[in-house]
Amino acid sequence: MLVAQMTVQHRNNVTIQGDGPLTLVFAHGFGCDQNMWRFLAPAYAERYRTVLFDLVGSGQSDRSAYDPEKYGSLDGYAQDVLEVVREVGPGPVLFVGHSVSAMIGLLAGIREPDRFVAHIMIGPSPCYINDGDYIGGFTRKDIEGLLNTLDSNYLGWSSTMAPAIMGAPGQPELGVELTNSFCRTDPEIAKQFARVTFLSDLRDLLPKLAAPTLIVQCHDDLIAPVSVGEYMQRTMPRATLAIIDNVGHCPHMSAPSACSLAIDRFLVQEGL
Amino acid sequence: MSTDPLASQLDFIPCGVLQTLDDGTIRRVNRTFCAWVNATAETLIGRRFQDLLTIGGKIFHHTHWAPLLRLQGSISEVKLELVHGEEVLPILVNAIRRDDDGTIVHEIAAYVARDRDRYEQELVQARRRLEAAVAELSLLHSTAKDRAAFAEQMMGIVSHDLRNPLNAIRLGAEILEKSDVSEPQRRVLARIAGAVDRSTHLIEDLLDFTSARVGNGIAVTLRPIDLHECIAAALDELRLSHPTREIVHVVRDHGPALGDPRRLAQLVGNLVSNADTYGAPSTPVTVTSAIRERCVIDVHNVGAQIPYALQKTMFEPMTRGAGASGNTRSVGLGLFIVREIARAHRGTASVESLESGTTFHVEWRAP
Repeated sequence: MLVAQMTVQHRNNVTIQGDGPLTLVFAHGFGCDQNMWRFLAPAYAERYRTVLFDLVGSGQSDRSAYDPEKYGSLDGYAQDVLEVVREVGPGPVLFVGHSVSAMIGLLAGIREPDRFVAHIMIGPSPCYINDGDYIGGFTRKDIEGLLNTLDSNYLGWSSTMAPAIMGAPGQPELGVELTNSFCRTDPEIAKQFARVTFLSDLRDLLPKLAAPTLIVQCHDDLIAPVSVGEYMQRTMPRATLAIIDNVGHCPHMSAPSACSLAIDRFLVQEGL
Repeated sequence: MSTDPLASQLDFIPCGVLQTLDDGTIRRVNRTFCAWVNATAETLIGRRFQDLLTIGGKIFHHTHWAPLLRLQGSISEVKLELVHGEEVLPILVNAIRRDDDGTIVHEIAAYVARDRDRYEQELVQARRRLEAAVAELSLLHSTAKDRAAFAEQMMGIVSHDLRNPLNAIRLGAEILEKSDVSEPQRRVLARIAGAVDRSTHLIEDLLDFTSARVGNGIAVTLRPIDLHECIAAALDELRLSHPTREIVHVVRDHGPALGDPRRLAQLVGNLVSNADTYGAPSTPVTVTSAIRERCVIDVHNVGAQIPYALQKTMFEPMTRGAGASGNTRSVGLGLFIVREIARAHRGTASVESLESGTTFHVEWRAP
């Protein structure tokens, strides 16, 4: 239905590039938008069809589509992912999710397994809070502190964080017209998204994802420590863990070549 | 910082200055910044800038700062919080990412932002208070609406349910009256019929009161009428129900009028009943209908002056004049309904009470 197509495309600001035997759908994590993929996705657009989109409430998505009830849990986002995947079909896709979007992909993949040939999870975490033997990286108090920070930081997390006006040297990676809205979020949406993300616990669901999965974990990532990647590998039926040398939570930005090396290996391994 | 003169100047400028590697590892830091976290440059160099932040700040650094700096090359006006010991220091940060002879570095300038932080807290609190107040208000509003709707329903149900037994009583009395009854029994039956009439009126008043108070006002259907004829017909009926009172009709001027005859009859009925109750015995009640620029109905009775304070409130429901006998049907709704009928005609109701007597005055626009 044409109307529905227009809606999903507009709602999630879906952009499609390249062509090939396989469609890769890239989903950004908490914080920014599809621009995060600009160091990784273009190379794949030369060989495959790549689909980028913004989660509702982020980037250039349709903010009016943000329904606090729907997006009060990751299921609401998973529903959108399935709609995007159906949209770009007909065949199954390879889903590349960063951080919380890896878990959104997990939910979507469990709900409609036939739509996904495989999952690539970059810096995923099924649960951020330590629980007995499980080391998520944060105590409950840490996360509560984070959510309080969001509450009281009126401008910080939602402001444009525009490039410094004192003249950044070199070429910024993005055109000026893009930077002004980049990463800008409505404070209420940012708050709810953080709550939904950092309080999520999907550990019980990990065994239910039957599709082959690559977990790309950084050797030093505060948000998703190596112990989490190891836990996921142990718990999931068909998971491969690749630990890459990187400090931070965005290896697709700060270590794109190490990332694509791990991804390419996985693609060969799975015959994709 | 170092021995180079510019670097030592940087040590004393009133903002924190740092240089880090791409992963946040501190390469240089000035004295101002060191003082904020109560550390020396030696202990800070080699540590990561993000490790000096609160958990929220660390996560922000991972999810916003690093990708943004990478994409934009610079960011400005970012508020973060430094932690040292138990203390938390809000800072405002500008940063740029640049190539320093083959090494990617971040140049960071930081300012203490305590006042801004305080101001933000106040804003947030003010907004929370506002949201709480709005929420409470809307709760009160919906509770009030619920109650009003409930009251309306109750009134409707009770009034409706009372009509049926009253009809049964009326019918029973009528049947008995047609049979062979003695004169004393006939008088009892007449009293029963009168009581049923008063009760029926009361129920109608209650229904009108309910719709005026909690509904959309008293419903009227305005159509062209002959005002004088309409009032004359109403007075004919009233003379039957008030046989001991002389009711005089004065007609002034003629012309077209818009009104709801049934409601106007009700209005005149309420005013004449009122005049009959409070008017001096053996004096007439004078009803004047007039049409000039406005349609007018005046109901006058001779009698004691109404106290001024009471004049001001007598159109409100449940207000009752002193000296009314317990035998009247009004529970203080009559004048309220008069006013509501006048309002439904887009007109007004008022009272003028002098020592010589009292006049109720209703007027609305003539077409």
